[in-house]
Amino acid sequence: MKVLVFHIGADRYGLPLRQVRRVLPSLELKGIPLAPDSVAGLMNLHGTPLPVIDLSRISGRAPSRQHYDTRIVVADYIAPDGTVHALGLMAERVQGVQDVAPQDLAPSGVQAAPFLGQVAGDAHGMVQLVEVNDLLPAELRARLFPAEVATG
Amino acid sequence: MNNLSIKNKLYIGFGSIVAIILLLLILAYNNFASLTDANRWDRHTMEVLLQLDRINSVSLQIQVDTRGYILTGSEALIGSERENAEQLKQQVAKAVQLTADNPQQNERLKRAQALLTTWADVNIRRQIDKRRSLGDTKGAAEILGQSSELKEAGAIVASARELLDQAAEEERRLLAERSAKAVDLHSNQNNLLLGGGAAVFVLSLLIAYTLGRAILGPLANLTAGLARLGSGDLAARTVVTSGDELGKVSEDFNKMAQQLQDATLREQAQTNELRAKVDSLLGVVARAAGGDMTGKISVGGDDAIGQLGDGLQRMFDNLRQLLTNVQKAGIQVTTSATEIAASAKQQEATGVEQAQTSVEVLSTTKEISSNTSQLLKTMEDATAVADYTTSATSEAQGNLRRMDQTMQNMVNATDSINAKLAALSEKASNINSVLTTITKVADQTNILSLNAAIEAEKAGEAGRGFSVVATEIRRLADQTSVSTWDIEQMLKEMQSAVSASVMGMDKFSEEIRRSVGEVRQVTDQLSGVMDQVQKLAPQFDAVLQGMQAQAVGAQQITETMMQLNDATQQTVESLKATSEAVHQLQYAAGDLQSSVSTFAVNA
Repeated sequence: MKVLVFHIGADRYGLPLRQVRRVLPSLELKGIPLAPDSVAGLMNLHGTPLPVIDLSRISGRAPSRQHYDTRIVVADYIAPDGTVHALGLMAERVQGVQDVAPQDLAPSGVQAAPFLGQVAGDAHGMVQLVEVNDLLPAELRARLFPAEVATG
Repeated sequence: MNNLSIKNKLYIGFGSIVAIILLLLILAYNNFASLTDANRWDRHTMEVLLQLDRINSVSLQIQVDTRGYILTGSEALIGSERENAEQLKQQVAKAVQLTADNPQQNERLKRAQALLTTWADVNIRRQIDKRRSLGDTKGAAEILGQSSELKEAGAIVASARELLDQAAEEERRLLAERSAKAVDLHSNQNNLLLGGGAAVFVLSLLIAYTLGRAILGPLANLTAGLARLGSGDLAARTVVTSGDELGKVSEDFNKMAQQLQDATLREQAQTNELRAKVDSLLGVVARAAGGDMTGKISVGGDDAIGQLGDGLQRMFDNLRQLLTNVQKAGIQVTTSATEIAASAKQQEATGVEQAQTSVEVLSTTKEISSNTSQLLKTMEDATAVADYTTSATSEAQGNLRRMDQTMQNMVNATDSINAKLAALSEKASNINSVLTTITKVADQTNILSLNAAIEAEKAGEAGRGFSVVATEIRRLADQTSVSTWDIEQMLKEMQSAVSASVMGMDKFSEEIRRSVGEVRQVTDQLSGVMDQVQKLAPQFDAVLQGMQAQAVGAQQITETMMQLNDATQQTVESLKATSEAVHQLQYAAGDLQSSVSTFAVNA
C-alpha cells in the first residue's frame, strides 16, 4: 500500500495514494470570508473552483507555512452518501511516495482526531494514515458540499 | 271619631240632624193627626148641632105654618105642610144617622124621632084636619086654641124639643170636652214643636260644633303650619290628630315641609360649599394680590367654580413662572451689572496703570536717548577690532583650501572602489537568479515525479516500471535541489562579504565626505566672518545713523505717549461715566429684584 508522505508539525502522516488525484505546487488561494478556519481558501483547478482544507489547521495547529515543499494535494473525498467530491488539501513538507506493508500497520491505540487511522513504523519513525473520507466534520461537509451541488 | 273620614263625619252629623227632625216631624204629624181628628169630631158635633137646629127650625116652621093656618085658615100656608113633614123626617133621620156613634144620643134622637114622626104625621094632621073642618067658622082659631089636639101636639113637640135640647146640650158638652182636649193637643203640639225645635237646634249646634272642631281644628293647624311655612319657618309641622283626609293632608304637608327643609338645607350646604370654595379662591387671590404667589388653588372639579379654580391655578402657575423668570432675569441683570461695574473698575485701574506706564515709558525713552551717545563711542572701538579680525581670517582661509583639495582626491578613490564592489554584487545577483531557476525546475521535477508515482500507482501492475523511473527522477530532482542549495549557500556567503566591504567603503567615504563638508563649512564660515567684518564698517555708520534716528524717534515716542496719556485720561473719564451708568443699572436691577421679590413664588 502506497502512501503520500507529508508532515503536520514534526510528525509524518500518509495519504493513501489510491485517493490522491494529483499533487500541485502551492498556489495563490482565494480567501473565503466567514469560512471556518480549517478552510484555507478556494483554488482554481482548470476552471473548476475547489475548496482547499489546511491539514495543519484542521489538526488544531498553526496554519501551514509556505515552504518550497508545501503542496496542494487534490484528493477524492467520498461523502457518506457515496458521492465523490474533489477536495484540495494543503500539506507541509510533502516528501514523496512511500510503500507501507499492510502487516506493518497497527491501530494507534489513541483515538484523537476522527480522520487519523493506523500507524506503521519504519527507519525514520512512524507514519500515521489519514482517512480522507473522515476528514470533514458533518457541519463543514454540509457547508462545502451541500447535498444538491454534488460534483464528480 | 277621629279616624272617620270627613265624608263619614258629615254624613253622621247631618244624618243625626235629619233623623231628629224626622222624629220631630213624626211626633208633630201624630199630634196633627190627633188635632185633625179632634177637629173632625168638633165638626161632627157641629153638624149634629146644626142638624138639631134644622130639626128645630123645620119643626118650628111646621108649627108656625100650622098655627098660621089655624089662625087664618088659609090653605096657602099649609101648601108645603107635607114637604115640611117629609123634610122633618129626613132631618131627624139624618140626625139619627149622624149620632150613630153615640148610643145615648142616638137613643134620645130615636125617641125624639118617634115623637116628631108621630107629631108631624098625626098631631099636625089632626089639627089641620080639624081646622079644615071648622072652615070659615068664626072663632075657629079660638076653638082650636082651646082644643086638646093643640095641647097634645104642644106637649109632644115640647117633649121632642126637650129631647132635642138634651141632645144639643149633650153635644155641646161633648164639644166643650173635645175643645178642651183639642186645646190640650194644641198646647202639646206647641210644646212639642218648641221643645223639639229647641232640641234640634241645640243638637244641630252640638253636631255643628263637633264637626267644626273635627274639621276646622286640623284645618286651622294646617293653615297655621302653612302660614308659618309661608313666612319662612321651614321647621313648621302640624300635629296629625286624625286619620281622615285632613290627617293625610297634614301628613303630606309634613312630608312636603320636611322635603322643603331638606332641600333648603341641601341648598344651604351647597351654598356654604360654594362660599368656602370661593373664599378659598379669594384667599389665594388675596394672598396673590399681596404678593404671595405660593398659594395653591385647592378647588377643583368640573363645575364652573372648579374650572375657575383650574384657570386661576394655571394663571398663578404662569404668573409664578413669569415672576421666577423675572427674578432670575433681575439676578442675572444684577450679576451682569456687577460684572460690568467690576470690569469698568478694572479698566479704570488699567487706564490709570496705562497712564503711569506712559510716564515710565517717557522716562525710559529719555534714558535711551542718553545711552545712544555712549553706544556711539563703543562702536568706534568695535570697528578697530573688526579690521584685525579680517586679516587673520584670510590667512586661515588659504590653509583650509589646500586641505579641501586632498580630501576631494580621497573621495574620488573611494567612489572607484565602490563601483567595483557594486559590479561584483550584480554578478552575484545574476548567479542567484540562475540558481532560483534551477531550484524551480527541481521543484517542478519533484512534483512531476510525485504525480508520476501517483499515476503509476493508479495504473497498477502496468505502471510498476514507470514507478521506478518516477522514483529515479525524484531522486535526481532531490540531488539537484541539494546541490543548488549548496551553491546558494556559498553565493550567499560571498554576497555577504561583498556587502560588508561595500558597507565599510561607504562608511569611509561618508566620513571623508563629512570631513570635506566640515572643512568647506569652516572655510565658508571664515569667508562669512571676513565678509561680515568688512561689512561692519558701513554697518556701524548705519548704526550711528540709526542711533540718531532713534533719538528723534524717542522724541516722537514721547509726544505720542503724551497724546496716549491724554487719550487714556479720556478713557478713564468715559469709564467713570460708564461705571456711573452701571451703578444706576445696578440700582435699577436691585429695584427690579426687590420689586419682584415681594412676590413669593416658592412655597
